Amino acid sequence: MSDPEKWLANWRAAGAWSLSRHDLAKEGLLASAFLPTKAILNCAKELKEANFSLLDLSALETQEGFVVTYHFDSLNEPGRLAFRALVPHKKPHLPSLYDVFQGAEWHERETADFFGLIFDQNPNLIPLLLADDHYGPPPLRKNPADLAPLKKLGLLGSFEILDPDFGALIGEDSQKESQS
Amino acid sequence: MTFGSLNFVNPFGVWENPGSTAGDFYAVNFEKKAVSGRVILNLGPQHPSTHGVLRVLVELDGEYVARAEPVLGYLHRMHEKMGEVKTPWQFIPNMGRVDYLHPLAWNWAFVGAAEKLAGLTVPERAEYLRVIGCELNRIGSHLLWWGAFVMDLGGFTPILYAFEEREKINDILQIITGSRLTMANFRFGGVCADADERFFRLCAEFIPYLRERLKMYKGLVTDNVILRRRLEGIGPIDVDLCQRYGATGPILRAAGLARDTRKDYPYGVYPKLDFPIPTGPINDSFGRYLVRLAEIETSLSIIEQAIKDIPQGPIIMDKAPKATWKLPAGESYFTVEGARGQIAAHITSDGGKNPYRVKLRAPGFSNLSLFAEAAKGTLLADAIAILGSLDLVIPEIDR
Amino acid sequence: MFLSLAIVAQIIVAVLLIIALMVGNAVVMVYMERKVAGFIQRRPGPYEVGPYGTLQAICDSMKLLAKQLYRPGNVDLILYYLAPILAFFPVLLLYLPIPFGPYLTALPVGDGVILILAFAGLGVLSNLLAGWSSNNKYSLLGAARAVSQTVAYEIPMILALLAVVFLSGSTDLKVVTDQQGPWPWQWNIVLQPLAFFIYLVSLVGETNRAPFDLPEAESELAAGFHTEYSGMGFALFFLSEYANMLLVSFVAAVFFLGGYKGPIADGFWWIFIKAYALMFFMVWIRWTFPRVRFDQLLNINWKWLLPLGLFNLWLTAAVIKVAF
Repeated sequence: MSDPEKWLANWRAAGAWSLSRHDLAKEGLLASAFLPTKAILNCAKELKEANFSLLDLSALETQEGFVVTYHFDSLNEPGRLAFRALVPHKKPHLPSLYDVFQGAEWHERETADFFGLIFDQNPNLIPLLLADDHYGPPPLRKNPADLAPLKKLGLLGSFEILDPDFGALIGEDSQKESQS
Repeated sequence: MTFGSLNFVNPFGVWENPGSTAGDFYAVNFEKKAVSGRVILNLGPQHPSTHGVLRVLVELDGEYVARAEPVLGYLHRMHEKMGEVKTPWQFIPNMGRVDYLHPLAWNWAFVGAAEKLAGLTVPERAEYLRVIGCELNRIGSHLLWWGAFVMDLGGFTPILYAFEEREKINDILQIITGSRLTMANFRFGGVCADADERFFRLCAEFIPYLRERLKMYKGLVTDNVILRRRLEGIGPIDVDLCQRYGATGPILRAAGLARDTRKDYPYGVYPKLDFPIPTGPINDSFGRYLVRLAEIETSLSIIEQAIKDIPQGPIIMDKAPKATWKLPAGESYFTVEGARGQIAAHITSDGGKNPYRVKLRAPGFSNLSLFAEAAKGTLLADAIAILGSLDLVIPEIDR
Repeated sequence: MFLSLAIVAQIIVAVLLIIALMVGNAVVMVYMERKVAGFIQRRPGPYEVGPYGTLQAICDSMKLLAKQLYRPGNVDLILYYLAPILAFFPVLLLYLPIPFGPYLTALPVGDGVILILAFAGLGVLSNLLAGWSSNNKYSLLGAARAVSQTVAYEIPMILALLAVVFLSGSTDLKVVTDQQGPWPWQWNIVLQPLAFFIYLVSLVGETNRAPFDLPEAESELAAGFHTEYSGMGFALFFLSEYANMLLVSFVAAVFFLGGYKGPIADGFWWIFIKAYALMFFMVWIRWTFPRVRFDQLLNINWKWLLPLGLFNLWLTAAVIKVAF
């Protein structure tokens, strides 16, 4: 198993907003973190150097914005890690991971199709799964009335919040260390 | 653009179709980067060797592929949205339709994720039935791939042999799943129907039968000199390429890494079964071919052990969830090993009637994404061979 | 005057008979191909229409005749319609010098081999025109492949036939037949096994049959040069492919397998039996082997068959010079 503590320390140094430890058997993850969008590319680079591979990129929409989750798995030993980015509704921009993981191009295009997120520096950000003349909102965007708060979705596991602004945004006490 | 209460801005701007002579949006987009004087060829969506409705735009320099770009979405059905508007129970049949060749693995991914999230326990007999079904399905998938792959290389006969075996597998699976193609016999907390004596008898008969046939296939196809010349050294995919594109399954194993979700993230009763992970001696198309054929033997030995060890007992847990069952709030990421690689279902729930978000990771999606790089500089015929060796199932890629 | 009129009448009757032979051959071959493929693939093949499905080929040809001629936009009209006709008619001429029996030759010409080899090259022209005029990139690629393949495989074919011509000292097919005896060990195949092998390989390449069916490799090029043809246009290509197969089989039978001579009673039945045995062989390998790649195909030709053919020719010439 890869060592989640090492990566949590890395992410803490990279300015993570929150760190979470997960139960691999239940949630399928060892650890995750909310990273500021600026830090994503560097953290992905570090993971690549440690022989991790980007297996999946999933997004979902919450009241606070889009949560984009990057799932990584090590090629050396099992142990899945993830980091997330919270993208505000008003400015749905994210850096592309294309320079590090070329496979990210398609995942990003798919997410752009479904959520209308924009991945800057993606070399080919054209519709992938939807038609080029797709009319209407991105299909996985929800009606504002149906949006759930991030807190309710249980993305955080047993977490610690490092950034008080983030804590205030999602309504968790930044001082508290929860054991959910 | 306003749509309902949403304020939506098309992030890509507005496109215009410049007319029929220049091609559609993707062709125009592809042609922008093309070197003048080269032929742009549209492989698909209707093409004999794209196995369905994949479309690959190819820039040809003579007969060499200078650049390739797969265009997806011709079979896109938005299963992820359907996951959000159906209750989890209603969504299970969808999983049989994502990948028509290995539906039970997708069943398991979704059902397993929900079970993990809700903390349901599955009776042991049901776990064994799941393993047997999944492995039979995997053999069927690999066999059909084998036939279709050789057909891509111009050999017509093997696919009919492969279908003969697959029919036998379907006959067996029909007993426990009730269907032959879009199987969905998994339920939260178990499976829907028990296996009878005939099922185990047919399984026991099938294993030695297929072993005999595999020997024949080796002599008839694998050792054929034309086939070997067509595959050896064609389309090497090394670990670095797999890492950058997130390729899994037989492709990664042919590159030499013994990574298998059944061993890495054990689920079901796989930890109790003894089986090897076949890895390829070489990372070219022929290596991937050999790995898949070796996996058929692995699956046979798993089935052999499972039908020996399967206990008596219930096939579904007590008070199993019903159609109106709600998932508890939380997140679950569950992976299983499909015939094409790691399948993952990522369920996020807010405790409501329907899941809040269902994300499906299709292994073929990542595997296909490396095609553009792997096919660069190869002959058109080799590009077709590489495409075939990736084992594509388009409904799974498009979801 | 009288003589030439007789020859003209003879040629007209012969051409009509040859057309009947070509069409009949296509019907037989469609049935044989599908039935043999069925047996190889462990399925019954056609069995609904007529006894054992024998009328299937008739029905197929009826369908092809009745089908609408669909023509894609922007094709080069003249060349597009000329190509299937050009594919069909040169083959007619090629049957003229073949001795089907001791007294059964449509047009006994002294230089039969030259005639056959000269007009066999015309077939490639139709492929090229079809591919070029179809306004389709697959067709164009198929045409380019067809040209380089057919041109390449003609050379070892000529070399193999030349070796036999050296042996019999004549380019007349009748003379070549007469030099061989009725029994298999008296055939040229015994004297020229290498030439027969080269001819066998290159006849598969020459007729664009699997595993050398690169011009129409359907898993790569859809249907190659005839992608855009439907109805009778496609049927003519189809017909000429089978006619070509039959022709090269006849030539092989004449040059290597004793022609119309057989152990019991000489006659056209022997040459037909031999030719159809070769046809069966071609069908058999088509349904057994995967397709070779294009560069491999040309490599087989230029690096193996051509040097072997030249060596064989040199050896034959040397032996004849020394021995006689």
